Amino acid sequence: MKIIVAIKQVPERDAQVRIDSSGKWIEESEVQYAMNESDAYALEEALQLKEKHSGEVVVVSAGPERVGTTIREALAKGADRAIHIDCSDLAQRDALGSARLLAEAIRGENADLVLTGLQSDDLGYGQTGVILAELLGVPHATLILHVEKTDAGLKVKRELEAGWFQEIELPLPAALTIQSGGNKLRYATLMGIKKAKTKEMRVVSAADLGAAATPVATLQSIELPKKQRSTQIIEGDAKAAAATLVEKLKFEVRVL
Amino acid sequence: MTSLSATLAEPQHFSLPEKLLFFLLLFASIWLFWRRFGPILEKILKSRKDPDFRLAPIGRRIWDFFTEVICQVKVIQQRPLPGLAHAFVFWGFCAFALVTLNHAAVGFGVGFLDPAAWYGRVYFYLAAAFAIACAIGIAGLFIRRFFVRPRWLGKKVSNESGVIAGLIFLLMVTYLAAFFTTDAAPAARLLWWIHTLTLLVFLPLIPHTKHLHLVLSPATIFLKRDGFSHIPPLVGDEDFGLVAGKDITQLVSLQAYSCVECGRCSEHCPATNTGKELNPKEIILGMRGYLNGPGPASEQAILAAEDGTAYVSQKAVFQCTTCGSCEFQCPVGIQHLPIMVGLRRGAVNTGTWEDDYGAKLFNQLERGSNALGISAIERDKFIQKQELPLFDGTQEYCLWLGCMGGYDPKGRDIVAAFARVMQHLGTSFGVLKKEKCTGDPVRRLGNDLVFQTLAEENLKNLAQNKVKNIISICPHCVRTIQEDWKAYGTPPEIEHHTEFMARFADRLQPIQSQEKIVFHDPCYLGRNRNVYDQPRQLVQITGTLIEAPRHRERSFCCGAGGGLAFLGEETGDRVSHTRAQELVATGAQTVATACPFCNTMFRDALGEMNGTAPQLLDVAQLIARNLDS
Ligand code: SF4
Ligand code: SF4
Repeated sequence: MKIIVAIKQVPERDAQVRIDSSGKWIEESEVQYAMNESDAYALEEALQLKEKHSGEVVVVSAGPERVGTTIREALAKGADRAIHIDCSDLAQRDALGSARLLAEAIRGENADLVLTGLQSDDLGYGQTGVILAELLGVPHATLILHVEKTDAGLKVKRELEAGWFQEIELPLPAALTIQSGGNKLRYATLMGIKKAKTKEMRVVSAADLGAAATPVATLQSIELPKKQRSTQIIEGDAKAAAATLVEKLKFEVRVL
Repeated sequence: MTSLSATLAEPQHFSLPEKLLFFLLLFASIWLFWRRFGPILEKILKSRKDPDFRLAPIGRRIWDFFTEVICQVKVIQQRPLPGLAHAFVFWGFCAFALVTLNHAAVGFGVGFLDPAAWYGRVYFYLAAAFAIACAIGIAGLFIRRFFVRPRWLGKKVSNESGVIAGLIFLLMVTYLAAFFTTDAAPAARLLWWIHTLTLLVFLPLIPHTKHLHLVLSPATIFLKRDGFSHIPPLVGDEDFGLVAGKDITQLVSLQAYSCVECGRCSEHCPATNTGKELNPKEIILGMRGYLNGPGPASEQAILAAEDGTAYVSQKAVFQCTTCGSCEFQCPVGIQHLPIMVGLRRGAVNTGTWEDDYGAKLFNQLERGSNALGISAIERDKFIQKQELPLFDGTQEYCLWLGCMGGYDPKGRDIVAAFARVMQHLGTSFGVLKKEKCTGDPVRRLGNDLVFQTLAEENLKNLAQNKVKNIISICPHCVRTIQEDWKAYGTPPEIEHHTEFMARFADRLQPIQSQEKIVFHDPCYLGRNRNVYDQPRQLVQITGTLIEAPRHRERSFCCGAGGGLAFLGEETGDRVSHTRAQELVATGAQTVATACPFCNTMFRDALGEMNGTAPQLLDVAQLIARNLDS
């Protein structure tokens, strides 16, 4: 089974971000980057499928030169080779623009299965994987926690709202967007990193792929979340107050 | 009848057949010795060279040799009675070396120490005194081994050591008896032959038994690596730690063959003492077993995952808290931690160690900033709330928070208390805007990839911020920054907060108090850094210091080190509970610690204890309390 995993490099989870002068993106030089979390789970799923059914895992990632470190991490964890789409305008592209890049880069691979993370931790559109499936003309399923290969194709487990799950079957080739937490992630090893150096990493430029960059949706501006604090004092006897508190936590704060 | 002669009796004029027989037996004995010892030596020499071995500083080596070999300081200090008995046997042997040479020479008629001459008389009397001490010593050790039977010698005491003890005793007795006969008496000839045969049986037994340490351990002690718990660098693209025989270095081989199976390491090991599989002695003997089997050039794995074919158990290796008791205790200079961590590196760097907690920790540190897996924003909030100044290059010290100080509630209390003390002293300090884990847990767990990344990023950050001096409340941070980061750059100067505070002890407002405070020595402050007195000095200005049965160099681990704080449930008893009970049993009202990891471990252990538990405070909190009162 040939599996392609699309991976995005995003600012590290703990990064302290600042908005740049354009107001449309963050000051990139100040942050460190890591592999997008759900993409890490997509990679893990691919590696486990390969371990069970053999085949090849190819990772593809778009972005500037720094993306190389994330690609090497994926190779270190066990991917067989990589395609790096060299482009510096990823933040300005909408989901369609990114998906076009990915689709053009992997079309010739004729993969059996394409995996992406559910959504990116920076822009969070949650659409790239789905559009990619459409562009490649293969069926897709989203929010996948578990993948099983069957004779007819795949059986997958989707996560729905409120603790519900759905099991569906679909033929191959297909594309799936993977939810975080379905598997336990493996760690990168020194030996893996050393081996990764000898693995193929093909660099293609966005221009060569001929994927249009004109966005259908344009990003107007971004903002840091405003800190809000509000205090309410709940009056009344303990029992009634507790009931009100539960009510508020459920419907106003929505944490229960 | 024989009468007491003033000199040692030596038979005169051996007949030719006698001489021939002696020669043949001597040859056979040496041949048997070499047949076993030769291959061992070859295995040691054929092992990989130690990449970072340097003979310098030679002074330290000579000093260790003098104290630990000649004076037997460690042997005696850590186990006084058997230690002294051993020392007598050892000194007896040294004094006997010349006697034995002369004894053999007499057999060929070329004795060089004339028993009648004044120097012969002096020397033989001196040797006789040692022989008496040695005979008493070996008899004592025999009784201890076969009748007292201390637990840590293992369930089976080997009979061979009984035989050896008997031989040594016989050597001494036959020597002493020769003072009670005359040269011409048949008894002198008989004694000479018994003595000779004993020697000739003893010699080949040495390399076949743990008495190999007679030959090897002086070299082992002289050649041991510099530094405590030192982790050697990996060299080249094929070095992932101790994976197989090809990775075993000469020092590791030499040390593995030197083990005398005394069990001192196990006696002090927190894992062994709480019912875990790990027993440091077995790790060393496992390495020896591997060398005897597959050998130093082999590709066969040393650790195999729990299927029984392993020479060393992977499970056991990952139960080590890296407390360093074993390495500190070992009388023959075996350095367990490079081996223990080396085996872990082999397993982690090649991905053969599979552990959900371990993988989670590694993943957390691959992408996050701290070992607790908490968002770095929480650290910012703490700094703001505590109004800790940011380091801007003008202050004298950078206060390193570490994962515990930045994210753990108790650790934060310690930082806050220590900041209060620094403010009181008028010392200028600041904290870094961003910090990453020093990499201590991943270093000890053997993940070189994550450790290197963390060390390099931190070094870069510190250089950018122009940090010259660091203070930390965490002995693990101190050790890792000062020692382990060296592999990747030049770290700034660093000291532990107790060292800093002790320098200003006179300005810290001592109070007279009867409060009984027991101080727990953290492994990474004590055995790792040799800081024992400073925290005690500080405790004494806030109360009455009392000691736990195991303290200073012999302190018993809290169970958190070696990355174990982040791994799952322990098997057997909990190390932290065992230690907490010992501390409570001292009757102290307060348990003082100097490490945030010890603090969390004891917080949980004391919390689960019945009755009123003593209060638990870091030394910085004790001092801050004085300032406030
Ligand atoms: S370092 Fe401590 S825990 Fe590890 S083997 Fe040695 S004594 Fe046991
Ligand atoms: S390793 Fe050292 S302390 Fe442990 S049994 Fe061997 S000689 Fe004794």
